Amino acid sequence: MFCEKAIELIRELHRMSDGQLPAFNEDGLRQVLQEMEALYEQNQSDVNEAKSEGRAKLIPSIKLRHCCLLRNQRCVTAYLYDRLLRIRALRWEYGSVLPANVRFHMCAEEWFSQYKKSLASFMRSLGGNEGLDITQDMKPPKSLYIEVRCLKDHGEFEIDDGTVILLKKNSQHFLPRWKCEQLIRQGVLEHVVS
Amino acid sequence: MFIADIRKDFYEVVANQRVVLLVAPDIDALCACKILQALFHCDQIQYTLVPVTGWQELGTAFLEHKEQFRYFVLINCGANVDLLEMLQPDDDSIFFICDTHRPVDVVNVYNDTQIKLLIKQDDDLSVPSYDDIFRDEDEEGEDSGNESDEGSEPSGKRRRFDEGAVERRIERQRAKREWEARRREILFDYEQYEYHGTSAAMMFFELAWVLTKDTKDMLWWAIIGLTDQWVHDKITNMKYVTDIATMQRHVSRHNHRNEDEENSLSIDCMRISFEYDLRLTLYQHWSLYESIYNSCYTSCSFKLWTLNGQKKLQEFLADMGLPLKQVRQKFNSMDMSIKENLRDVIEESSNKYGMKDIRIQTFGVHFGFKNRFLASDMVHATAALLESAEKDDSETDNFIKALDALSRCAKETKFTLQRLNLLTFPLKMSSFFFLLFSLCRSNIDRLHSGIALAKKKLIAIQQTVASCICTNLILSQGPFLYCYLMEGTPDVKLFSKPMALTLLCKYLLKAFVHSTRNKRCKLLPLVMAAPKDVEKGTVIVVGIPPESETSDKKNFFGRAFEKAAESTSSRTLHDHFDTSIIELKTEDRSKFLDALITLLS
Repeated sequence: MFCEKAIELIRELHRMSDGQLPAFNEDGLRQVLQEMEALYEQNQSDVNEAKSEGRAKLIPSIKLRHCCLLRNQRCVTAYLYDRLLRIRALRWEYGSVLPANVRFHMCAEEWFSQYKKSLASFMRSLGGNEGLDITQDMKPPKSLYIEVRCLKDHGEFEIDDGTVILLKKNSQHFLPRWKCEQLIRQGVLEHVVS
Repeated sequence: MFIADIRKDFYEVVANQRVVLLVAPDIDALCACKILQALFHCDQIQYTLVPVTGWQELGTAFLEHKEQFRYFVLINCGANVDLLEMLQPDDDSIFFICDTHRPVDVVNVYNDTQIKLLIKQDDDLSVPSYDDIFRDEDEEGEDSGNESDEGSEPSGKRRRFDEGAVERRIERQRAKREWEARRREILFDYEQYEYHGTSAAMMFFELAWVLTKDTKDMLWWAIIGLTDQWVHDKITNMKYVTDIATMQRHVSRHNHRNEDEENSLSIDCMRISFEYDLRLTLYQHWSLYESIYNSCYTSCSFKLWTLNGQKKLQEFLADMGLPLKQVRQKFNSMDMSIKENLRDVIEESSNKYGMKDIRIQTFGVHFGFKNRFLASDMVHATAALLESAEKDDSETDNFIKALDALSRCAKETKFTLQRLNLLTFPLKMSSFFFLLFSLCRSNIDRLHSGIALAKKKLIAIQQTVASCICTNLILSQGPFLYCYLMEGTPDVKLFSKPMALTLLCKYLLKAFVHSTRNKRCKLLPLVMAAPKDVEKGTVIVVGIPPESETSDKKNFFGRAFEKAAESTSSRTLHDHFDTSIIELKTEDRSKFLDALITLLS
């Protein structure tokens, strides 16, 4: 049946839960495009035949093929657009340098770097001279500083104003939120709610 | 120097700075630390919290942090020793010391620049005056100058002056020697006895009150800090009662909202109430029978290590009309009819059996429908957590656990925070909440595990006391009583920790005083030794003052231990902030003991 390959592509994306990016299904895409080409060829020949010989009986099949073509086109663009959105979300999630395991699946490196560039130039244009990092604090934070506990010996850690903090196991610190988020993700610090 | 205005001279000084908090391992310090942390959170003062268990760790922590920080706050450590000499700080380091250990070292009192003491100038400080201890150096310079002149040119003309000058010189030297002798005497008297002052948690609560940032949580922590001093017998009864009255004023101030019928608080809010409650440890979380059996006061009054004592206990329960079946089950499951008048009934009966002080003034808290705790329950639970003898946990791990147990809220783990960050896409609400709840662990659970540990500890103490008394392990050495816990004793690992050993010591002394007939022995202090580390071959030695109703809790063993160790050159480690607790090599035990006996007799 027509358009089944296209639905396969969509299903594949739907199966992967939000946020994860499956490998780019080049094969599937090529098959869909081939199918579209075949349909288009058939339609061309049928249209020519219908025009030249006036056989109105061919019109429904032409219509059918046209609908399939439109459907395939819609599926393919949906597939590509959804992948785009997921890649964009990766930038907001992980920052401008992606960890290795995520980058493995991506093939749209170019698009990603372009997006990074435009986001960076936008952020620079905000907030006067220094620019404003809008990828931090996606939810309004309850406080500027949070209390964190050190889970392993991490050595020295520098904060924005140049002061250095010694992160020793089981010491607790009260630090600005934005500096700690990275370390919390890595598992070195633990947020303490009290 | 002593700080006059705690807000101006301490809080506003550190307001825009970054501070290091060095906290000693006792409950009062933990509570004070939590109050200070809450204040710092309010005002966003950045800090680093480092738990320190002894002088060595204090030194290491100071060295590690002295490059990056200028302000150090020491809680329950550092006042009774010459801090500047010990740590050798740079000139711009400033130390704020809030310590209950007395006597405060004279150098700390009279140093104007680097040491600020967050201690109230109570009546009981009795610091010697400046002139008695410190003397200007100039006068000595004059003396030596004159001497050199006279030494180099003895000629006829100068002879007359010589005599006058020599006399004056002799006079000055005599005066100096007298002054020095008097100084030594004054210092000896001042530093001889070690005792404790007002709770650090109460000091910081007062700071919070002055800043009008005090909350019920802080008040509760201050109460726990005060109760810790009473449970571990650090302050006199008079002082405890006075401090309770101070706290009672704060409690009634915070409670006035409860009385308003229309705007009453929700059941989940914290309510602190004044209780004139029984002195039975943990009785609301245990069965009444177990609690009476294992509480120091009742067990010593009944002498529960004897058969007679146990019979008396049964009589006591029968006298009150409490059926054994009820009394042995969990307190919460006892019949309501029994629980209603329990306190009064017990007080009446205990008066007949000679226990006049079965009730004590204290505070209780309750929040939610399930959670009711007395201040002493919290102290025992946190102390058990702080000193839990599990192999994997280091002391700082235990410190963190105990610190957590003091807070009320559910704990959010780092994993939760990570997942929350990843959940930028809308998930179904049910799965979101499932994730959140499954990853949170409540601090109340930790508190309950602390209570379970505390029960084990109390049972162990009771059994050890019973066995020591029955096997006559307490020997009179003349000026003091002595007891040594052998290595094979059950639960001896619990007693390798200072607080647990001190508690055991006090119970043992009380029990001994009740059980012995020798009048002289009742007035003696007790020294107790227990194995600390079998591999290294060390024992931990603790000395406590004699037991009496009106004791002022002043302990002279700190200095005595030091002198005895010096004179026999035993290998000792005076690492604890309480100078009456030391570590000793097992081989040196006997000669150390002999030296102590000769010193004190």
